Amino acid sequence: MDIIVTRDLTKEFNGLTAVDGVSFSVKKGEIFGFLGPNGAGKSTTINILTTLLLPTRGTATVNGYDILTQQDDVRRSIGIVSQDVVLENELTARENLILHGEVYGMARREIEERIPRLLKLVELEGREDSRVKTFSGGMKRRLEIVKSFLHKPEIIFMDEPTTGLDPQSRRVVWDHINYLNKEEGVTIFLTTHYMDEADYLCHRIGIMDFGRLLDLDTPENLKNKIGAGDLVDIGFTGDGEAFVREVQEGCGWEVRSHEPGHLRIAANRAELSLMKLVRIAEETGVTIDSLSVREPTLEDVFIHYTGRAIREQAAENVTRAVLRRLR
Amino acid sequence: MMRVVRETYIIFKKDMLIWFKSPVVPVIRALVFPLLWIVIFGTAFGGTVEHIPVALVQEDFGAHAQGLVQELNKKEVLEIRKTTNYATAFRMLTRKEVYGVIFIPPGFSQAIGDGGQGRVQLSTDETSPQISSALIAHVYDAAGVYSDRVVLERRPAGGGPAEVVDPVVMEKNTVFGRGIEYLDFLAPGVVMMTIMFSAMFSGGLGVIVDREFGTLRMLMAAPITKDAIILGKIIAGVMQSIASGIVALIIAMLMGVELESGALGVLLIVLLMFIAGFGFIGMSTAIGARSKTLEQFMVMMQVIVMPMWFLSGGLYPLESMPGWMRVVATVNPLTYATDAVRAVMLRGIVWDILALDFLILISFSVVMFAMGSLAFKRTID
Repeated sequence: MDIIVTRDLTKEFNGLTAVDGVSFSVKKGEIFGFLGPNGAGKSTTINILTTLLLPTRGTATVNGYDILTQQDDVRRSIGIVSQDVVLENELTARENLILHGEVYGMARREIEERIPRLLKLVELEGREDSRVKTFSGGMKRRLEIVKSFLHKPEIIFMDEPTTGLDPQSRRVVWDHINYLNKEEGVTIFLTTHYMDEADYLCHRIGIMDFGRLLDLDTPENLKNKIGAGDLVDIGFTGDGEAFVREVQEGCGWEVRSHEPGHLRIAANRAELSLMKLVRIAEETGVTIDSLSVREPTLEDVFIHYTGRAIREQAAENVTRAVLRRLR
Repeated sequence: MMRVVRETYIIFKKDMLIWFKSPVVPVIRALVFPLLWIVIFGTAFGGTVEHIPVALVQEDFGAHAQGLVQELNKKEVLEIRKTTNYATAFRMLTRKEVYGVIFIPPGFSQAIGDGGQGRVQLSTDETSPQISSALIAHVYDAAGVYSDRVVLERRPAGGGPAEVVDPVVMEKNTVFGRGIEYLDFLAPGVVMMTIMFSAMFSGGLGVIVDREFGTLRMLMAAPITKDAIILGKIIAGVMQSIASGIVALIIAMLMGVELESGALGVLLIVLLMFIAGFGFIGMSTAIGARSKTLEQFMVMMQVIVMPMWFLSGGLYPLESMPGWMRVVATVNPLTYATDAVRAVMLRGIVWDILALDFLILISFSVVMFAMGSLAFKRTID
């Protein structure tokens, strides 16, 4: 069953197209991820689906409700973990949760009943009466995650849920996201620019760039699409001409890229053919300096689709998040 | 309708809860900062008072009475308004149209002519110390000058010693503001100024901070109406301002400032704080919504708040300002708020005067509240 369905979703800002005719659906109970660099249109899409922005064109339903005509029903069905920490720093964890619950129309008693279990879930028990400003970045994130779950939404939207966290805190947050999904049956829609995060968490991934949805599939299928098997990187010295030709024709391997002194090939079960590779090198008078065999990552998938890496933007993104925190 | 009320209350409660966590800082900020300005600037502003309106009731038209009136007319600081009877003149005093009533009773000239003493009554409104001291000084001076003239004329032709008694005797009767000092005059101004500072800074600041930190967006994504968010935040801001204002009022009363009108007066003052608070929050919200950065907003606030405060009559009476400043003061809403609070505190409740202040303040607040709400709504759309 599809819990989110979008059709031709488009958002223009002053002639700039942030989201460009995006159509996809999210299945109930899955962890769905949008992967892409900053400015790819991920957050804009989330803002439209959470009724914070109106689309220029197109439509969508969330939990069966139309985002244009049934906004209140959509809002009651969803929880949001935004990119920034939006807790009230001066208030305690408990007070933050109570305020949130009341805004979502919950009865005070119901909120009070849920708080101990939720705080235990994210290992914040015993801290309910501490002011949030005394919390670490990871603790705040965890509190935000249970806050978004307080009113029992069907879907939780998470915009860059681990940006700005240290590796250990990220792991913890991932565990909580998995728990909510598996044990509580919440559908998760997240955006990220971390390859490992998308790979580890998401059941299906949509790759976004420049407002367009380039592909959408499971991580395995996405990797397989860019060529079955492994990637072999070879660093060498000597005349590469004959070597490359032999590798291509003699072994039937697919050359991915070829620069002076470096060759990348894709091969099925490459480890079985390494001896052959060494022999070809000897025959063509080439010395192999380095050799690595690895499985393709989402990074390779992303490069395949966009022709560039996501890393630079990712680094920039972290800096921005840190700056935002300092302000 | 019920839904908006309930949701407004939730937002209001949220903002108040956050405020209650550290209410001291905003209250101190609203109080101390302006008080510092009083210390720095207040003492430096000396301004001379001009054109003090005074009613003259003349029931004796003898030579001596005319002579005294002549002397009074020579005083340029006084703006003498001839009035036919005492009742009318007293009503003018009550309505703050004049600051004093000079009454020359029948038989005044006769008494002096007989070589005795003529008595003149001066009834005053001393709620504004600078004005009343100038008024009293000039009236007494005129009387003294005329007395001297009479004494000179009475001198025996032989050139014997002059009489020691003054032919003209002034009898002063303080109608309003008995025992008023500068502090009493200043207190209402400070109370209203606290409301203005608190409201002006909290309104726009709320918009900008919430916008920057994304808390507003979270509310926007919740199943709650926009009207409730706007109303709840504005009402919370007004309440917080009133809290600062009440602290200022309590401090003033602890320092011995009199409150002529008792409990009803306190109620009226709080009502005035409420009305003015709405206006200033609205104004500030409108400016905050249009400001791109916090810095821009703060600069705008300084540019607006400071002149508004200095030209409100809170520090020094409007009568001591040059003409163009007085024009600015008449379009300044804080002038009317201060005037009303001062009237309630020092003169008692006189609806004749309060009606205009209330009318102007309410109009100002309704317009500003509408502007603020609309601007707020635009920023979250």
